[in-house]
Amino acid sequence: MSEYKYNKLNVTHSSTLEGLTVRDDVLVEIATFLSRRWSDKPKSLVTFTEEANPKTSPDKNQIALPHLRGYAGNRFQKYRQWRVSLWYESMRLKYSTKVLSYDHAFGFVFNALEKKRIESIGLDDWKGMMDEIIFDEGISWLNRPLLNSLYGVQKLLEGFGQLFLTGYIKGELFSSEHDKVAKAVELATSVVQEALASQYQTRWIEEQVPRIIKILQVDPLVLIPFSTIRSRFGISMSESELSRQIEKIVRKRRTAEKNIEKSVDAIVDGTDILPEYETLVRESKRHENEGYENLENMGISIPHRLDVNESEVYDTNLIHKTKAKFKEWRTGWIERHDRFGDEFDSEAFIEFIPTPFIVDLKLTIKTRVMILLDHSSSIQEVELKYKQVTNALCEALSFLGVRFAVYAFSTDGKQVKCWLIKPPNYRWSSICTKRLAQIRASGGTPLAEIYGLLEPMVRSFKPEIFFTLTDGEPSDTDAVRHMVLSFRKIGTHMVALGLGRNLDEAISIGQNLRYLEYERSLAVSKLEDIPKKVIGLLKS
Amino acid sequence: MSLPSSPLYLDWNGALPVLRKAYDIGLFAMIIGPKGTGKTTLVKAFGAEIGRTLYPVNFSLRTRESHLVGTKTLENGEVGFVDGILVESMKLGGLLYLDELNAAEADVLLRLDEALDDRRQVVLKESEGQTITASKGWTVIATINPLSHVGTKELPPQLLSRFPVRLRLEYPPEEVEVDIIRRHTSIEDSALASVSIGVKLANKLREAAAVEELYYSPSMRETIAFSKLIKSGSEAKYAAQLVFANVYGQWGDVEYRKVMDMITSMFGN
Repeated sequence: MSEYKYNKLNVTHSSTLEGLTVRDDVLVEIATFLSRRWSDKPKSLVTFTEEANPKTSPDKNQIALPHLRGYAGNRFQKYRQWRVSLWYESMRLKYSTKVLSYDHAFGFVFNALEKKRIESIGLDDWKGMMDEIIFDEGISWLNRPLLNSLYGVQKLLEGFGQLFLTGYIKGELFSSEHDKVAKAVELATSVVQEALASQYQTRWIEEQVPRIIKILQVDPLVLIPFSTIRSRFGISMSESELSRQIEKIVRKRRTAEKNIEKSVDAIVDGTDILPEYETLVRESKRHENEGYENLENMGISIPHRLDVNESEVYDTNLIHKTKAKFKEWRTGWIERHDRFGDEFDSEAFIEFIPTPFIVDLKLTIKTRVMILLDHSSSIQEVELKYKQVTNALCEALSFLGVRFAVYAFSTDGKQVKCWLIKPPNYRWSSICTKRLAQIRASGGTPLAEIYGLLEPMVRSFKPEIFFTLTDGEPSDTDAVRHMVLSFRKIGTHMVALGLGRNLDEAISIGQNLRYLEYERSLAVSKLEDIPKKVIGLLKS
Repeated sequence: MSLPSSPLYLDWNGALPVLRKAYDIGLFAMIIGPKGTGKTTLVKAFGAEIGRTLYPVNFSLRTRESHLVGTKTLENGEVGFVDGILVESMKLGGLLYLDELNAAEADVLLRLDEALDDRRQVVLKESEGQTITASKGWTVIATINPLSHVGTKELPPQLLSRFPVRLRLEYPPEEVEVDIIRRHTSIEDSALASVSIGVKLANKLREAAAVEELYYSPSMRETIAFSKLIKSGSEAKYAAQLVFANVYGQWGDVEYRKVMDMITSMFGN
């Protein structure tokens, strides 16, 4: 293996990336994207689990993976293994109908058979994963338990897992144990081959498991003391050990490979994956600088759950419609007739139109916008629609390149909470939608209190327009009036959007809001109209 | 305008017989579909089939009424009139192809509406009120992009009703797209495996764009371009980066990287 190349990789880490971690929210965003494409399940969800093994529920379209810290090696190596786990689990989502627990013998054997089957099918489409699988096998090998240190059922199953999945065993088995394991592996291999040839699915594989268990002579329901698929307690490994192990796997998996050394180098370096990792680290670093920590001191909370399925908040039709409505901004230029300009329109001249010249106007919105969303209990009835509409609005604002920040308020355990959905410097992404999706509508409308919490944000971001979306009267009108005036004094245009269940109610809410010193108050009786109203107002 | 040619159109969803039927019974047709699905190639193939000269207009913000009906000229002190493409196609009984009709401005659509009603006539106020009646065999096919496309507008209902036969043209299944590419690029069979992966990648990107996870959806023009690069000797992974991934860089590093990750997992080293 080329020492130079490997060291060069480490130098890159130490100079720019070492010491920096990948944030979970950043990781989840790219992982969700990849998993959805890999698995062809556009609504699949990736979350984290504290357990050592991934947990996938094909019926719920959910993948739960251990945190990066649960993997061995340096940070880049951890990421590579995590990515391989994500690929395997995405393949399970696509090709398996069932995933069993690794804690008992039956589940252990079944999962191993399925892993082999889906790996083979998956690699047909995702050939580029082969190198990563070899790397993962190589690096995890060093953390696999030595068979000599195990006893009984655990030893047999671990031996079976090692030999079946990698072709090697680590340590020694007694001859009787070795016979059982070898026979079981032989049968398991033929089972997987038959499944692939005849396109048998998960159910058929499950039916074959007892045959393998019988050869191993173990109780199918016996508990395995700790998961033996892979021990994640990282021992530092030497570079040469890793290369040696990878070379062994390359020789086994790629019998036709001519330049083994070059191939091993490429796999150890992971140069294809490194730019991906660097992007994640840079993105994480960017987010670190957003001062989230201080927000907590200011009384602003961040909805932190990552196991939220944000796909229900996406109403793609509404998003398309909203974008379509305002997309002429996106195109950048529009034509207008004028008294002077770049192009002479002879037809207009012949018809005595006083503006015979055509000028191109660039459409831009340089406005900074802050949006506050009411999540009081009265929103409950229409909560999902409200979130879908808000999401469409934010998607459209993002599409138009408007700089905006989004906050929401609700009551959580008798305490009024102001939530940060999207800070000004953060792009609108699935993480923002996850945050929006998890806020539950409850409590009253303590607007003045929320404005008070947001005041430092308003003073630093200096939005030109502050939209408040609310469906009711605030509980403290005088205080709200005072806060609205104080925001107006710092140059922010205060606009309120009243949400009514019908036209009459919307108009009455709109009129009430006008008394609160907002510069403009609009009424909306159809939630779908919100994006149109907000962007229309920016346009005007 | 162009003479009918026989482009390499693969009628994978039976669109040609539908257009033929509409033509035989005197109905105008509209083809709806995203960019780069072969709408223009289909119309060209149909023009060749019925032996009519094709009069194509590609609508945009800059298309004027005068492009359609004609324009006044001043020659030797006399005001004259040059026919626009609509008038010319009507006079000569050709196939008027209104490409991306929903990108046209309202005043342009108004003049079209007049010509497309059952009388098949247009009154040229620009040319002393002359009435032009369409010759026998004159027919019109329009294409529109879905409203999510940049620069498109909703067509007025009365104009929509002038095209009662509506065909939807989506991206073809993977194997059909590979076949279409093969016809367009005459690529060797040995390179078809890479083409196939490129088409698969394009489909994944289209799916992601459909659910708003990416900002851009590649068309068949891109899969053809990718295949042409491979044919010219480019390495498949690099060609995929050039054609499919780099464009996402305009929306930031993360967007670009997402697509590169897929390319890496598909092509490897």
